[in-house]
Amino acid sequence: MKRYFLTLALALVALIASAQIKKPELMVIPSDVWCISNGYYTEVENLGTTVKVPNYKQALQENMGLKLAIAKLNDLMAERQFPLQSLEQTVKNLEQRRMEDNLTTSKAGNELAESPLDEVARTAKCDIILELSWEVKDFGPKHSISYILEARDAYTAKSIGAASGTGAQSFSADVDVLLEEAIVANMDNFVNRLMDHFQEMQTIGREISLDIKVFADNAAGVDLETEFDGEELVDIINNWLQVNTVQGRFSMPYASENIANFTQVRIPVYDERGRAIDANGFAKSLAKYLKKEPYNIPSKVLVKGLGRAVIILGEK
Amino acid sequence: MWRNNIVKPYMFMKKFLLSLLVVALCVPASAGLRQKQANKDTENFRYEIECGGNAIQGTYLVKVWTYSKKASVAENQCRKNAVHGVIFKGYGGGQGCVSQRPMVNTPGAETQFKEYFDSFFADGGEFQKYASIIGGTTESVKVGREYKVGCTVSVRKDDLRKALEAAGIVRGLNSGF
Repeated sequence: MKRYFLTLALALVALIASAQIKKPELMVIPSDVWCISNGYYTEVENLGTTVKVPNYKQALQENMGLKLAIAKLNDLMAERQFPLQSLEQTVKNLEQRRMEDNLTTSKAGNELAESPLDEVARTAKCDIILELSWEVKDFGPKHSISYILEARDAYTAKSIGAASGTGAQSFSADVDVLLEEAIVANMDNFVNRLMDHFQEMQTIGREISLDIKVFADNAAGVDLETEFDGEELVDIINNWLQVNTVQGRFSMPYASENIANFTQVRIPVYDERGRAIDANGFAKSLAKYLKKEPYNIPSKVLVKGLGRAVIILGEK
Repeated sequence: MWRNNIVKPYMFMKKFLLSLLVVALCVPASAGLRQKQANKDTENFRYEIECGGNAIQGTYLVKVWTYSKKASVAENQCRKNAVHGVIFKGYGGGQGCVSQRPMVNTPGAETQFKEYFDSFFADGGEFQKYASIIGGTTESVKVGREYKVGCTVSVRKDDLRKALEAAGIVRGLNSGF
């Protein structure tokens, strides 16, 4: 019996430990500036202006240097037991999802106003985007390479850290060799910055932003100043966030009867079941709480990438 | 008379052998002292480390300048200083080189893990596994009463980091997950 309990306790400890040891997912993406300056973009009409949107698929299919750089970075990260997610596979999955979305346009089509980067990050469910760019500079017969690798939190798009520099000038070395040299030389500093970020994330959670809006003339007849037991709805939301954020960390830079913006909201990295939480999941928990007695407020949750969600109160 | 003739060379021989013995004892003692001083200099960061060029994957190429009254002692100390510098000092970049921060950057780690590092940096210690002098790169300058010896050393930093991670001195990227 004693042995049975001991085994059970050990299994439980192992289960809890396995819930804690999920690693953040990382993916390398060529930066917008690299894609555009190398011609890998498509032009899209957006509200009367033409915007250049990076075309990752074309870049992967046509640029050998990019494939080499991604392979090298993957090799170096795998050496530190941190293999990267494949951009190529993600782009394929994204195309599949777009096809499915096109079939259900009325449900999803107009709601998801996301950039290609947001779309890729959400499809890959990655936590950190490694944005890569490089440029070959010629100095007469010599050439050198300027290289930037920047890590961005996929949730907030905030920069975590970057490694950059210009390599030594060379007469003979091939561009691919110079690129490989630059990646190898800059990797340790870059990894140190990633490590600092991971330590911060483990201590004070993941950062997201949350907007609460109200449908005009909604059927539920609520706004953020509606009182429940003498307490305004915005204060009720504040109290919920106080309890459900890590160390009660968030700020509310703006609030009115129709809108409340919450920024620097630190959410737990994983829920009690060990599943990763994103802004969507966190917003849905709040929406569920407001839907229950005594508030009975229906709401709609909109996703804006991994790190931003909007809850619109009053109607579904 | 005949007795003086025998004793004199004998005394001379005795004195000569005694002096030889003293010299024989003093030379290793002074070499030992110089080595001890060199080790002390390493502990006190009395060396210079700079980037020695672009290295192949898994290694750093560093140029280390070591001081000693004897050039050979300084040359021997180059490898130790290179590994010590990569662990505790880091180095600056420039001219195509990338600066690197020290592997161990927790304040007080040197004293916290003193026992480990004493044995690691002991003469003939484990540090030797991670460094090798690039042949033909040694240069020596006489500065005052001592020599300043520069060597380019290749440090196997990936293996070194793994050893430090295994000893619990530095955290790995995946630690805590």
